[in-house]
Amino acid sequence: MNFFSKLLRYGSLAAALLGVVAIILVSRTQAEKQMPPAGDPPVVPPRKPFAHSVAATGILEALSENVAIGVPQSGMVSEVFVKVNDSVKKGDPLFKLDDRDLLAQQISTRAQLDVAGSQISINEAQLAKFSAQLARLDAVTDSRAISKDDMENRRQDVSIAQAQLAAARAGLTSAEASLESISMLIERLTIRAPRDGSVIQLNIRAGEYAATSPKSPAMILGDIDKLQVRADIDEQNATRIRAGQKAYAYLKGDTSISFPLEFIRVEPYVIPKVSLTGSSIERVDTRVLQVIYSLERPEDPPLYVGQQVDLFIEAPDRN
Amino acid sequence: MFSLALKMLFGDTAKYLMLVAGLFFATFLIVQQASVFCGLMRWTTATLKNVAAPIYVVEEQVEQVNETNPMRDTDVARVRSVSAVRWAMPLYSGIQRVRLADGSFKTVQLVGIDAASLAGAPQRMVEGNLKDLRLPNTVVIDELAIERLSVDFKDPAKRIKIGDSFEINDIEARVVGICQAMRSFTGGPYIWTTYERALQYTPPQRKMLSAVIAAPGKGMTMDQAAAAIEKETGLRAYVNRDFGKNERDVTTGKTTRYGDFNTATVWWYVKNTGIPISFGTTVVIGFIVGVAIACQTFYAFVLDNLKHLGALKAMGMSNFRLSLMLIFQAFTVGIIGFGLGLLASAAFAMGALKNGQPPLYMPWQIPVAAFAVIQVICMLAALMGIIRLSLYEPAMVFRA
Repeated sequence: MNFFSKLLRYGSLAAALLGVVAIILVSRTQAEKQMPPAGDPPVVPPRKPFAHSVAATGILEALSENVAIGVPQSGMVSEVFVKVNDSVKKGDPLFKLDDRDLLAQQISTRAQLDVAGSQISINEAQLAKFSAQLARLDAVTDSRAISKDDMENRRQDVSIAQAQLAAARAGLTSAEASLESISMLIERLTIRAPRDGSVIQLNIRAGEYAATSPKSPAMILGDIDKLQVRADIDEQNATRIRAGQKAYAYLKGDTSISFPLEFIRVEPYVIPKVSLTGSSIERVDTRVLQVIYSLERPEDPPLYVGQQVDLFIEAPDRN
Repeated sequence: MFSLALKMLFGDTAKYLMLVAGLFFATFLIVQQASVFCGLMRWTTATLKNVAAPIYVVEEQVEQVNETNPMRDTDVARVRSVSAVRWAMPLYSGIQRVRLADGSFKTVQLVGIDAASLAGAPQRMVEGNLKDLRLPNTVVIDELAIERLSVDFKDPAKRIKIGDSFEINDIEARVVGICQAMRSFTGGPYIWTTYERALQYTPPQRKMLSAVIAAPGKGMTMDQAAAAIEKETGLRAYVNRDFGKNERDVTTGKTTRYGDFNTATVWWYVKNTGIPISFGTTVVIGFIVGVAIACQTFYAFVLDNLKHLGALKAMGMSNFRLSLMLIFQAFTVGIIGFGLGLLASAAFAMGALKNGQPPLYMPWQIPVAAFAVIQVICMLAALMGIIRLSLYEPAMVFRA
């Protein structure tokens, strides 16, 4: 009994002490399980180049802006003369639409040209015949030998033949004109470069159907030696933007290199923002002011038209 | 004198055990229930712990992290334009449904982070490489997801692992990493992906940016930067420190505008759910049980020993010294009961921490407060004994 009560006495005391130790252990384990406090992200974001700046997102474009080549009429593409990255001069052919229907018309028009030509020959022969007849009658000096009526008829025959000849000639001219217009229409189906530049996107191949919709251009042409950045600035920050402000751009995904930018212009029209993240074209969030900066193309890293960039534009503090 | 007191205390084993048991239960109930309550409240801020960022910028009316009002995409640039901000990145956070290979559905907490900087990425990777998140259709899952998203969790061969895939809203998601994360209040595992992809996984809405996470500039505290963001953008900027007082807390009338997102979230749940009432009731019952058992037993104990105490009194011991003896006895019983209660709570806590279930978080204040409460109970019991003793005439000893 004495032993039991002793055991209880010291046992409970020891257990109580153990409890205090255990709770400290729990508190330790718990601290280990806690998530560490916030630090820097795994890839350190770009350092702001200015003390006060407006941030924006932008997209790289060719300096001359990207020209989306359209077609005069929808049709099948029969031949493409250029490849992606080809540099083209103004007027160089880019691709050709199917022109077989016009070629067929050309053949029949050409045949009409021959018809018109032979018609002229017939009419010329006729005129010569009538003229000769008239000349023969004219040569008779005795006026009693020929009736006045006959004489008049011969004269009119010549005039009619002359008019018919003129008509046949006009027919030839018309046939020639329609031939010319057909070749112009054929020429129109060859799409030519509207300016010097490079082919930066090719969406069409021979055999495909080219539509006139402006949403899907057949190819995009641009001058990629110099690039420009189109920066979207939230309209709430628009008041801080002035012409000539300095700016730096950082490529999305690579924050280690910054690109100095040169101001070109502020677009005077504020447009609804079209999200640059890809599939969400219809998600129009807010209106943005667009500012254009030019960018010297560096040797390294390679830059591509259409890449997204983060921009910092030096701007006065809001206050 | 104190050894005499102890002898008296341990003399009656049954009463001693009874006393200790009462205090033990009181301690256990108070500590365990309060810890589970704190743990549950902490779960509500799991996103803030898992997506560790110094500052959360959200829409003006947002009161807690699990209920955000989406903002415009350009708001990232607006926050970035604030001079006090070092960096600012977009964040998507929302509950989505996952379809497993066998066709069953599970809800998950989808987190979309900036692909370039990976700001807000899980901090403790267990397996896999975080940067693989930049590959197409990839996600990083947490350890809870292994349990939830595996076809058969019990069979180790059928557990979800790196390279496996499932579907989020009919779009493929391939696992490239497994990380440690805190559990969420809603019970769904955390799944990280890039911001752009999170938008593709989510049914389209007009606005989808849940929050902007940001860091203060050099030489700035979080609070200064948050104040600057609020001033310049009109958005709501919370700091993400921990539950507690913040220098930017403003109380107007009955409502308080909190500066810390953790505090704001916890208070939101306290005010808008019945959780604190239910846990509070248990804690109060623990206190009442402790008081009832301890006071009653101690009083009976004093009554039992009244003869001896009376004899001591008759021998000339002052009331004060006798009271001191009783207080010492109560104090000893209190410490032992408290220690045993802590032992049981610790056993429970270890199990909970190992399992991750039930929620448990024990700040140091809980045992300290429990100790104070137990001592109050003991002193109350001692007080009753003292009153009884002081009314006792020493002569009564000899009368019997």
